Amino acid sequence: MERLIQCMADNVVSPLGLDSAANYESVKAGKSGLSRYGSMGNVRTPFTLSRMDRGVLDDACRSLGIPTDRYTFFEKMLLASSVQAVENAGIDASSPRVLFVVSTTKGNVSLLGEAQDFPRERVLLGVAARQVSDYFGNPNSPLVVCNACISGVCAQIEAMRAIRSGRYDCAVVVGADEQSPFIISGFLSFKAISDDFCRPFDSERRGLNLGECAATVVLKAADSVPDGCWQLVAGAIRNDANHISGPSRTGEGSYLALKEMLRFCTPDDLAFVNVHGTATAYNDEMESIALSRAGLSDVPVTGLKGYYGHTMGAAGIMESVLSMYAVKDHTVLATRGFARQGTSCPVSVSPELRRTDGRQFIKLLSGFGGCNAALLYRLNGLW
Amino acid sequence: MEEMILKLKQEIIEVLNLEDVQPDDINNDAPLFGEGLGLDSIDALELIVLMEKNYGIKLQDPAKGKEIFKSVNVMADYIQKNRTK
Amino acid sequence: MEKEFSYVILDSGRAVVNGRSLEHEQTGNAMLAELYRAHIGDWPKFFKMDTLSKAGFVASELLFKETGETRCGQDEFTAHRAVVLFGTTASLCADTNYQETISDRDNYYPSPALFVYTLPNIVTGEIAIRGHFRGETSFYVVERPDAAQMAFHIACAFDDDVTDSVLAGWVDSRRNDDFQTFFTLVERGALEGLEDRIRTIMNNLNI
Repeated sequence: MERLIQCMADNVVSPLGLDSAANYESVKAGKSGLSRYGSMGNVRTPFTLSRMDRGVLDDACRSLGIPTDRYTFFEKMLLASSVQAVENAGIDASSPRVLFVVSTTKGNVSLLGEAQDFPRERVLLGVAARQVSDYFGNPNSPLVVCNACISGVCAQIEAMRAIRSGRYDCAVVVGADEQSPFIISGFLSFKAISDDFCRPFDSERRGLNLGECAATVVLKAADSVPDGCWQLVAGAIRNDANHISGPSRTGEGSYLALKEMLRFCTPDDLAFVNVHGTATAYNDEMESIALSRAGLSDVPVTGLKGYYGHTMGAAGIMESVLSMYAVKDHTVLATRGFARQGTSCPVSVSPELRRTDGRQFIKLLSGFGGCNAALLYRLNGLW
Repeated sequence: MEEMILKLKQEIIEVLNLEDVQPDDINNDAPLFGEGLGLDSIDALELIVLMEKNYGIKLQDPAKGKEIFKSVNVMADYIQKNRTK
Repeated sequence: MEKEFSYVILDSGRAVVNGRSLEHEQTGNAMLAELYRAHIGDWPKFFKMDTLSKAGFVASELLFKETGETRCGQDEFTAHRAVVLFGTTASLCADTNYQETISDRDNYYPSPALFVYTLPNIVTGEIAIRGHFRGETSFYVVERPDAAQMAFHIACAFDDDVTDSVLAGWVDSRRNDDFQTFFTLVERGALEGLEDRIRTIMNNLNI
């Protein structure tokens, strides 16, 4: 019998809240973590960012018993999120049957720029991830998924496969990124950042905002998924094979990933598609084409970048968790920043909350390297 | 101007890593993008950096690059008129 | 019967295809350029790549030459090929190069062409573009080279029904001119002995 994959617990730590429920309530109420900045380090071009308060994070760590001086900001984000999630899941994370999968784009890269009290080796992602698995006393070598902006979805897919294989019973999937001058200057050099609040799918969109967040899901093997619980049904990663930084004009990879998800559900089953929706001209246009090609033009679409910015390694996980809360709440979350359709293919996006009775959703992401990924979550049983 | 154009071509070849291209291979009036040199969107962004770094010209709107990077002649002309260093 | 497998090993002073050494005079990045000119030659974007992508690109091209795939991905079979790569240093070399463009306040000119390579999965994209592979592309960062761990995650890629073959490999670059890589091609249903094969290749590569 094929092993099913159940999501046992989740946690989101962000400027909008220190657990998933608080984050969901903030987003539902329309709050955003974004604010304007004039500069950061050598970056002297204005930008808009959702930044985690360092003091708030340290307090959260202390209340969880995490020693704050032993870990970098990035590692503390990973720990603050995963310690709570592991506790909620009630698993023994020190078991060799548990795999740690870390999703990040740049990890501790800020150590290259600033003099800090941490060994330089911590800039290696495997070494940073080990700080987390060691904290839990887990004996396995952690896996770091580093697929640019789609890492959070890929990490869940790889965790699902690792459990299906039978080698592991459980996986702790945790993602985060720190927004330092390194990343901000890079996106600015791509002219991809808006100095104003981002406007996903809007005709006036002028670029993305970056953001800080950490998010965790704990996935576990199940013979059957109980009513009212979440199942990770399927996932796929596809490449555009077109360009290393520009999205495909035909939405090729996203279309192929969506098409793969539609082998496991029909458009009518879907509460919504939670899109990448970065609010760059090219990304949102590409996603509208992919959704249209996949026959999903009428399915509600929702994007969360107006609340969090682009949280990179956390995005695929946090956006999945918020989507789970929304489906349970019969809600399609509002796409903050959207006012008027600005893509060539019509998509069903709205600045207002909408009601849904659907019980499945697709999470879609795309990123540099031409990569795209989608996954399908299903809420089991009647509720 | 002739000298300026040659220098600009050398700079373009260097920053865009056009390994097997010589300055003479770049026609002064031929489009920099599209056919020919095989340049892409990252190259356009890198040319914006070149203009700022070498000539002190800040270009906020990348769409403006389309006009300026029409050809080496157009680019050199724009630099002459707007350079601050 | 166990199938014959092709592999390519490249490090800063060595290029080996299925146990045969390829001739070269240079080392480091110059060796990669030399191999590119001698064996590939029709992809000028090569010169824009960072060391990690150059090493991965040349290794994959040499492998396809050996397996006899003249220009892959155009047919249904290779369109569904996955590219799954591993490493410990990931984009450290590109990170250091990019950091230099932003460290000095008076000489602050962030380079988009350098920044894009600070994402280690770009090498998987470069290979997918060249081969027209529209399957999965993944880059995994691990603590250290571990044949069992690699074989396990390569096998996991076949969990996706669409994946017919996986171009798998190791690619690392700590600094310019310093790289270690190996590539091999794994087909669906041919996973037996994969871990041992990877271990043998890694011993040969001295990682």
